[in-house]
Amino acid sequence: MSLFRREDLHSLAAPYALDALEPPERVRFERHLADCDRCGAEVRALSEDAVRLAWSTTAPPPAALRERVMLAVRTTPQDPAPQGAVREPARARAAQLPPHVWGAQPPPRQRQRRRIPLFVPFATATAAAALVVASLFAVQANRTQDRLTAEQDRSREIAHVLAAPDARASTGRDGRGRTIGVIASATEGSAVVTLGGYGAPAGGRVHQLWLMRPGAQPRSLGLFQGDTPLVATGLGTSATSLAVTVEPAGGSPQPTTQPFVQLALKSVGFGE
Amino acid sequence: MRMPRVRGQARCGLGKGDRVEADELLLLVAGGDQKAFEELYGLVSGPVFGLVRRVVRDPAQSEEVAQEVLLELWRSAAKFDPGRGSAMSWILTLAHRRAVDRVRSARAAGEREQREALRANQPAFDQVTEEVEAGLEREWVRRCLDRLTVLQRQSVTLAYYEGYTYREVAEQLSLPLGTVKTRMRDGLTRMRECLGGVA
Repeated sequence: MSLFRREDLHSLAAPYALDALEPPERVRFERHLADCDRCGAEVRALSEDAVRLAWSTTAPPPAALRERVMLAVRTTPQDPAPQGAVREPARARAAQLPPHVWGAQPPPRQRQRRRIPLFVPFATATAAAALVVASLFAVQANRTQDRLTAEQDRSREIAHVLAAPDARASTGRDGRGRTIGVIASATEGSAVVTLGGYGAPAGGRVHQLWLMRPGAQPRSLGLFQGDTPLVATGLGTSATSLAVTVEPAGGSPQPTTQPFVQLALKSVGFGE
Repeated sequence: MRMPRVRGQARCGLGKGDRVEADELLLLVAGGDQKAFEELYGLVSGPVFGLVRRVVRDPAQSEEVAQEVLLELWRSAAKFDPGRGSAMSWILTLAHRRAVDRVRSARAAGEREQREALRANQPAFDQVTEEVEAGLEREWVRRCLDRLTVLQRQSVTLAYYEGYTYREVAEQLSLPLGTVKTRMRDGLTRMRECLGGVA
């Protein structure tokens, strides 16, 4: 890598504002910014220009995303404010920097080294569709008005999964006749999941659904509320199985107990 | 009357009220206010998701990245300083950075095929929905993009919407690096004049 002259560095302001630098260049440029009084305002203006390009892309996110984010928020602690951030003289120049600079750190990962052993997925079957649809209608009764919109969103999402050309169904049943049913579409990356016969866990605890992928931590797909079907989206084709654990009220960021049921997704078109 | 801090932007994107509200909400969120976060989610989830999906494209991955970004807003809200710019700018800059990181690592992993590069200037896969949701903003941005020269437009859009580095852009357009850097700067500046000049 050649050394950058000052003017060369300066010409990187626009690519920087567009996030079009490679990481080493980005670092070098940010170092330059800290020493360059006239750069701050300019880079900030260019960054504001770049952000305007985003205004045209607004699109409604899937309703399930909201549930997942809100669940995560309830269980995720916040980072403390940066130490004495704005007031210190040494920091004064940083105040002119664009958002990249102070928002540039990747999120600290909550790595849990502990591997969570899972028991073997059990049988799949074909009657799952009936199972899912039956419980779906069973819970439609007796809804209060304020939940109607959420229910409609959910219904729309369920209909969306059911209508996918590659929608396939699978079910698992344990020794005591309790069931987990799933209808999933690999191309849509979404699934409708139901539990049957498990009842509500004791002591205000909840059933939480997890997405299992090879080489990645389990990802929360949401909490079951009674026997209401749960719509899981954003599954990705690498998804290998779904698992359900019992968690404290409000759910957990990562499973804290062994899954009591797990269902492989291969039979519904994932992981292929 | 426009707020000085958001001058020139009032026409593009959310209304001024939303923007100021996002600032206030993000400050409340920094104090651990979950209710404020729910309101903030209502304001920013559409812009965040739309931007991430425009860059990442793959629906499942887009959802994942959007979820990470939205959660990061909760976690890192204390880093936001209204003296440095608007909350929406901060949020969308963060979302863009994360989306670009994801699309680049996906490319590096060979998940994205070469032909996608060639389709770079075609509309996003779900433009119809986006147009319904963001018709006015989209229209203004597109109109201003149309006023750029071809090279300015390609340099800006390949970088911002497709997540290419300026070196990759130079390669794709067969231009010297210096030319691409200049086109990017000129393109952004002209967008500013065009959007800011919209009365």
